[in-house]
Amino acid sequence: MLKKTMTVTAVATLMASTVLADEVNVLTWEGYADDSFISQFEAESGCKVTATYVGSNDDFAPKLAAGGGTYDLITPSIDTTQLMIDAGFVEPIDTSRIENWDSIYEKFRNQEGIQSNGEYYGMPYTWGAIAFMYLNDAFDTPPTSLAALWSEENAGKISLWDDKSALFVAARLNGDYNIYDLSDEQLAAAQETLLKQKPLVRKYWATAGELVDLYAAGEVTISNTWAGYQSSLLAEKGINVTEFIPKENAEGWMDSWMIVKGTPNQECVYKFLNMQLSELGQCGVANVNGYSVANPVAARKCMPQEQFTKLHQDDPDYLDGLLLWKPLGERLEAYTNAWNAVKAQ
Amino acid sequence: MAAFSTRRLSSYMVLGIPIAWIIIFMLVPYGVLLTYSFWVKKYPLFVPAFQFGNYITVFTDPQYLRVLLRTLKISALVSLASLLLAYPFAYFLVFRLKNQSLRVWLYMAVIAPLWVSYLLRAYTWKSILGTQGVLNSFLMSTGITTEPSTIFLYNQSAMVVTLTYIFIPFMVMPIYAALEKIPNNLSEASADLGMGPIRTFLRITLPLSLPGIVAGFTLTFCLSFGDFIAPFLVGGPDGLLVANVIVSQFGAALNWPLGSALSVVMLFIVLAIITASDRLERFGQQGH
Repeated sequence: MLKKTMTVTAVATLMASTVLADEVNVLTWEGYADDSFISQFEAESGCKVTATYVGSNDDFAPKLAAGGGTYDLITPSIDTTQLMIDAGFVEPIDTSRIENWDSIYEKFRNQEGIQSNGEYYGMPYTWGAIAFMYLNDAFDTPPTSLAALWSEENAGKISLWDDKSALFVAARLNGDYNIYDLSDEQLAAAQETLLKQKPLVRKYWATAGELVDLYAAGEVTISNTWAGYQSSLLAEKGINVTEFIPKENAEGWMDSWMIVKGTPNQECVYKFLNMQLSELGQCGVANVNGYSVANPVAARKCMPQEQFTKLHQDDPDYLDGLLLWKPLGERLEAYTNAWNAVKAQ
Repeated sequence: MAAFSTRRLSSYMVLGIPIAWIIIFMLVPYGVLLTYSFWVKKYPLFVPAFQFGNYITVFTDPQYLRVLLRTLKISALVSLASLLLAYPFAYFLVFRLKNQSLRVWLYMAVIAPLWVSYLLRAYTWKSILGTQGVLNSFLMSTGITTEPSTIFLYNQSAMVVTLTYIFIPFMVMPIYAALEKIPNNLSEASADLGMGPIRTFLRITLPLSLPGIVAGFTLTFCLSFGDFIAPFLVGGPDGLLVANVIVSQFGAALNWPLGSALSVVMLFIVLAIITASDRLERFGQQGH
């Protein structure tokens, strides 16, 4: 009897572990593994999805450097993808196993940041602008230039993302448009420009939610923003803000799925990637986060025309106009150092 | 014989488990931190080395010294504010309040917030000090001001207020304990010998409660010194503290060696403060 019980237990344990093997663990942004579309995937594929969320691109490397093993997939932005490849955290993607690969915007497939030695390491997924945003009630004439974020008129009502990208903004105000390739002098000038702005800044925002709170509590009236995201959260609260691309232009970002090196869950990983690039995943994320997506063919099929236009999916010029983030490589240290120096002042 | 070895085994266990715990969770991580602090940052991550470059950076790049000094200043202000509020309060509870149960209630009222999440308490101050916060509504409804003021939140004073509120129990507890231990007959004797209440306080009560003050000062100082939530929640653009810099070195900058060097420096400062307070306490005791 005892023996039988033990056999049953052993078999049950064995079965449980086989079921557990059909899983995929993702380290990603909120919304990228939202239940609204993930449940359907789980039901159809039999793969259990477990998501852990990051608050910043800076969270990927420390989590993986501290000994990953827990995650199968990550979604760094195009400024961080190269670092993941160079640090050996990720493995090449077999693009022949990705059905809609050729539908991805060519501009994204050509990005060097997701390639190495002729192999792809990243599957483009979503994109958008680091636009600027203002509170409608606070401005009689809508701002059109970055100068508004340096204007005494808005003193104490300005917020800027607590990120090295603040340097990109300041450099453009200085007239330096090679923002991902700034010389030491240009970087120092950008640092100086940010120091001039500092007394006017209410708070550097660190998370998407914090920026929403700052607007909601009446603390700030103008800032930069992840286009489409915070503005829709604010709209839900009945606070009217307008996003704009200043005449000094804006940065663009693009997030890619990358496979963590040595993942045992190959089967589910590729099922998951295919789902994310299909109509289910592309419209799923667009509906949750308000971001534009990397596969316009899928978007065309699953988005109403209004949404398709609003997300600039039919407007390659808009995408080409943005200064798409680039990996900073060895210069990353100089940039982070300059930004930390501004904050330490 | 069997009983003897069981006893030995259990005594090994009693001592061994805490010692193993200290080694695994305290000494080994400190060793790792110290080792990292000699490594060098090299794209994409960092490589092993033995050099003092990170420490030189900490002490020569003005941004790190500035943040260290600012952190020391904020911690000192928090400890001072806590002391000025906590001492009269504890004194009142121990010497003036005759109602025993009221004393316990008031004491618990100060300690109770410790059981509420730190984050929640810090958030509370955000909603009190904000432009549309409780303080501004109060000032405007009483007619003291006509427009909401932005001067309360997102600056260093907001950090001092918040940290004082959060850490003041650590000042009240040791002072209360020290005052409670002072025998009543000492101050009675002092009064009998013709000393006024002020001189009795200065000559008897204050020196005898010094260990409590030192302990409270050390606790609040070290806790504020390592804080990184208050700058994030209520601090302004000029509110960066040393713990935030360490967080950014381990995160955004991906410079674990420099972050480790900063942590080691911070650790030494805290150890120096604890040693100093220990000396001060012993010095206070020798005086009697």
